[in-house]
Amino acid sequence: MQKYISRQNFNALLDTLIAEGKRVVAPRMNAGTPLYEPLTSADEMITDQLPKRSGKEAFFPLCEDIMSYEKEGQNVTLKDIDPARFPETILVGVRPCDAAAIPVLDAVFSWDYRDEFYLSRRKKTTIIGLACTQADDACFCTAVGLSPDATRGSDLFLTPAEDGGYACETHSEKGEQLINHHLALFAEPNGSKTVPLAEPHTEKFDLQKVKTWLDEHFEDPAWDTVATRCVGCGACAFVCPACHCFDIVDEGTEKSGKRRKNWDACGFWKFTHHASGHNPRDGQPKRYRNRIMHKFKYYDDKFGQTLCTGCGRCIRLCPVGIDIAGILQEIEKQVEVKVE
Amino acid sequence: MTQPIDTTIYSAVTEAIQDEARRILSAGEVSAVVGYTAARRKGSAQPVVISSADEAAQLIFTPACVNNLAVYLTKAKKEIPKKGKIGIVVKGCDLKALVGLMGESQLKREELYLIGVPCAGILASTVQPATELTTDTIAPKCTECNAHLPLGCDFVAPQTPVTPELEKKYSAEIARLEAMTPGERWAYWKEQFSKCIKCYACRQVCPFCFCEQCLCDRNKPQMVDTTPRPAGNFAWHVVRAMHLSGRCAGCAECERSCPMDIPLNLLNRKMAKELKELYDYEAGFEINEKGPLASYTEKDDQSFIK
Repeated sequence: MQKYISRQNFNALLDTLIAEGKRVVAPRMNAGTPLYEPLTSADEMITDQLPKRSGKEAFFPLCEDIMSYEKEGQNVTLKDIDPARFPETILVGVRPCDAAAIPVLDAVFSWDYRDEFYLSRRKKTTIIGLACTQADDACFCTAVGLSPDATRGSDLFLTPAEDGGYACETHSEKGEQLINHHLALFAEPNGSKTVPLAEPHTEKFDLQKVKTWLDEHFEDPAWDTVATRCVGCGACAFVCPACHCFDIVDEGTEKSGKRRKNWDACGFWKFTHHASGHNPRDGQPKRYRNRIMHKFKYYDDKFGQTLCTGCGRCIRLCPVGIDIAGILQEIEKQVEVKVE
Repeated sequence: MTQPIDTTIYSAVTEAIQDEARRILSAGEVSAVVGYTAARRKGSAQPVVISSADEAAQLIFTPACVNNLAVYLTKAKKEIPKKGKIGIVVKGCDLKALVGLMGESQLKREELYLIGVPCAGILASTVQPATELTTDTIAPKCTECNAHLPLGCDFVAPQTPVTPELEKKYSAEIARLEAMTPGERWAYWKEQFSKCIKCYACRQVCPFCFCEQCLCDRNKPQMVDTTPRPAGNFAWHVVRAMHLSGRCAGCAECERSCPMDIPLNLLNRKMAKELKELYDYEAGFEINEKGPLASYTEKDDQSFIK
């Protein structure tokens, strides 16, 4: 289904959804930082900046309670969280690199164990993607097979028009339902000129070539070259739209407390630290190798896709300038040298 | 009004660094040199460790050379081999961290070869690496710099930086926060800390966070809530600010590295200001085994005991 919506009606749509009691999550400024967060009014939404964190937290929050306990004498009461209480959510203004990561997460959270926390939120969420009009030299969506107008993961996809409105295209039943429920706000496509899209400059990777190299180079001096300088923080994983590792901790007192699920990062030394004291990944190069292997080999082996959408956040935010796109280019070159 | 900052000396500084690194590596005076090299993105730079004279041509100094490389010499960074004497490229602000680490018996002066950089300033973390250095794009810490020329190095590139007087960004912001009511200040930090994701970039880049196991990573017993929620976030940042008082010399790496733009250096600068007022102490200028918070004299200010 193709429609057009003016900017005024788009804001009215968001305000209506908020008034209906739905959680409308969109890019907004929080203390000077653009983040995907629940809006209290459509005016808060910004469209000119890529949020510093991805949209994944609409389903996979940074921290969530998964159980609570109370103890009185010998009586222990455990209380589950009821996923039925998660609010219906509209995730709006999602960049193609963020939207495309959602099917990647779906695969992992519905594989051998079905994560009801993730899946319940996911089921109740409609995703409105937004074509991207700005790229910098850290962007590389086109290098991993996506593009500034990739619709993967979006239920409804918006392309900004020069008049401030949006050309709308549905990509799922959820998207169609959203339009049908608010049909009066939408118009038929009017041929408005759309804003020129972003043009990321990074050349397309041959991901198969990258994977072939990774298949054979678990041990390689290259890991030391790229990651000796890694300082072991979790910034890259935490801003990544596709990273999905988590840790579970109990917090509280002897009498009562909560079991919580938090994001975790393979760059942390603690990530693979055994109770015995042994750590099989005993240095940053081994930890960083895992990051690359997981994204471009292990995940591909298991699910037939890549765990990276080229958003470039990890490149922009790495404190020591570790550049995943640069590393992939180097790996490609290695393969080419070998072929010649 | 935006004014450009003169960085024309940086290309000559780059050559001087390369020549000196080449000389000390070929003479076998050092086993490695920690410096900066150009990276893929336009204008960008990254830390590098070189161990042969041939690699010296990789070294650069530009406004994108933002890192405090002192972090790589601490015991927390086991990946960097610390065999024999090591060369390190230092800006004045970075040198203060090395001085602090020497005072805390983490480094020995005779095991370092300091290649000093005359510095007019580096870029703020909020701009792209290829941006021109101006009064608007300069890192906030550089607006208050009192170490454009590092002192006491083994070698300093001979150029003289042009360093105009700039509006002191931290002092202005601290004054603004001090003028708030406690309630307003609480609201300010609550909002800032609400963005914290506990990625620990602030800790990992800090030259003074060299504890082999951070208190906040302990779970037997757990000292601080590890979840990125208000209680744990507040505890973490306050514990860190206190632990750095009298030690932090303001390299601002924590603030630069914070992916959530939390103005962490404000906490550290506020603590530094308190220490200056209470003990007339400023970290980073001389090797000092016991900072004011690690020692007691009868002359110490007691006015806070009420």
